[in-house]
Amino acid sequence: MGIIPIPLIIWLIEDLLYLIIFPGLVTILVIVIVIIWLERKIAAKVQMRFGPLWVSKKIGGALQSLADLLRYSFQEVIIPEKADKLAFILAPGLMFAFATIALIFIPVGPYYSVLFPSYYTILFSLALIIITPIFAITVGWASDNKFSFIGALREGFLLISYEVPFLLSVVSMIIIFRTYDYISAVQSQLSFLPGIILNPLAALTMLIVMIRTTGRFPFDITEADSELVLGLYTEYSALFFGVGMATPYVELYNFSLIFSLLFLGGWWPFTLNVMNPIYGLILPGIIVVIKAFIVMAILVFLRAVYPRYRLDQAVRSGWSYVLLLSVLSVILSVGEVVFLR
Amino acid sequence: MSEVRKPRDPVTGHVKALAKGFKYLVEPNRMTLDYPAETMKLPPNYRGFFTVDDKKCIGCSMCEMVCPPEAITMVPRIIGEGGKTIPAPEGEKEAKGPKRTKRPVVNWGKCIFCYFCVDVCPVDAFIPTQVHDLAFEKDSEYRPSYEEYLKPPEEPYKNAKKVVSKADLKRGVGYDPAP
Repeated sequence: MGIIPIPLIIWLIEDLLYLIIFPGLVTILVIVIVIIWLERKIAAKVQMRFGPLWVSKKIGGALQSLADLLRYSFQEVIIPEKADKLAFILAPGLMFAFATIALIFIPVGPYYSVLFPSYYTILFSLALIIITPIFAITVGWASDNKFSFIGALREGFLLISYEVPFLLSVVSMIIIFRTYDYISAVQSQLSFLPGIILNPLAALTMLIVMIRTTGRFPFDITEADSELVLGLYTEYSALFFGVGMATPYVELYNFSLIFSLLFLGGWWPFTLNVMNPIYGLILPGIIVVIKAFIVMAILVFLRAVYPRYRLDQAVRSGWSYVLLLSVLSVILSVGEVVFLR
Repeated sequence: MSEVRKPRDPVTGHVKALAKGFKYLVEPNRMTLDYPAETMKLPPNYRGFFTVDDKKCIGCSMCEMVCPPEAITMVPRIIGEGGKTIPAPEGEKEAKGPKRTKRPVVNWGKCIFCYFCVDVCPVDAFIPTQVHDLAFEKDSEYRPSYEEYLKPPEEPYKNAKKVVSKADLKRGVGYDPAP
């Protein structure tokens, strides 16, 4: 009774550290709140507006997203009579959950292993990330609303046309690094060159697919607010709406982490190889998260510049230019592996 | 005569657009009204929220008939002392019998502020205001009961500075304090 072996306690504490702080739940919450505020502020500046300002005026309205979160938490929940109620309630939560669970397999330090050490972290994280759009389609089905349904159909079209280039761009990096594991991928970049120099085509494809999958402009097609009221989330209110709106930002965070691990050299300036929670997790984690945040900031800046593509334009470019780019990136990778090594 | 469209340069346009956006990001030119602190001086015929004069209304239902989005419904009432009305007993949907009458109630979720009802009223019973910036917390607040509807709407930012807009050659739009 009451005797827990000390190594087990240390192991549990480290796991909690991974899950809660890096790259875990607290970081997600802070990053999502900050990036939503930043996006609105950047778009407002470029479009000659002020953006969020009146909540905490002295720091430029930085607490606006927090205020929105509180408002969503206490808002009246409205569930339409004809909705498929179970799916209507569960789908946004599951979408958010799967987007968050994918983070378990995205390491931010050289000694990172939650639950079990794995050599297939790239595959696991991709599998979990690709599940989330299915729940987006469930949302559209469950709402029983024409706008939600059209939004879901558009999501399906885009999903199919952009998933293949996404996987091919990751496959080309797997070919170059000859591993399915993020940590060894980063280690091989540290000893040679960052992935964005090794294969710029794959990096470009990945960027385009990131913009598309997370619904940033110019691929804001599924929730096109001038055509479909709010697309998928037309019938949602209160916390369900808040969760649904936050999910693309969590996905954006996932993708940016993957991008900074595969292409930007991970924890690059920090190459110390010490098995220690501080040197093995926290310092490299901060570097990776900062890199991911810069990528996110660049992507949310696009909202201020671009108009929206039509559905057919987006699908056509997905099946032509982007697919071509991704196939070329695979060929480039194979060529590099054959001729350079 | 249709011109042959040249194939677009896939790079230059994107770079130009991004550069212009970045320029505006670094040197923002904001021309928005600083809204809750200053509000526009509205023209005299501005159509805002409106209420009804209980004593003037004759319950003719013209406003209900003319309302394009069918936002107005007539509720049954009983004429009490001094011309004011009291609610009819529950379950009474038709206004029949002595001293029975009807009064309009507006569903603000449906109203489009066209003021057809104000124009059509034979006794000018509607009281128009210029209040246009009210917010409702709950779904039910869009559909007031007749007693709630009778209360005149309150302007939310009474102490705000009143301004009028002007064309500013440098910035595009500017604001002057209202005369």
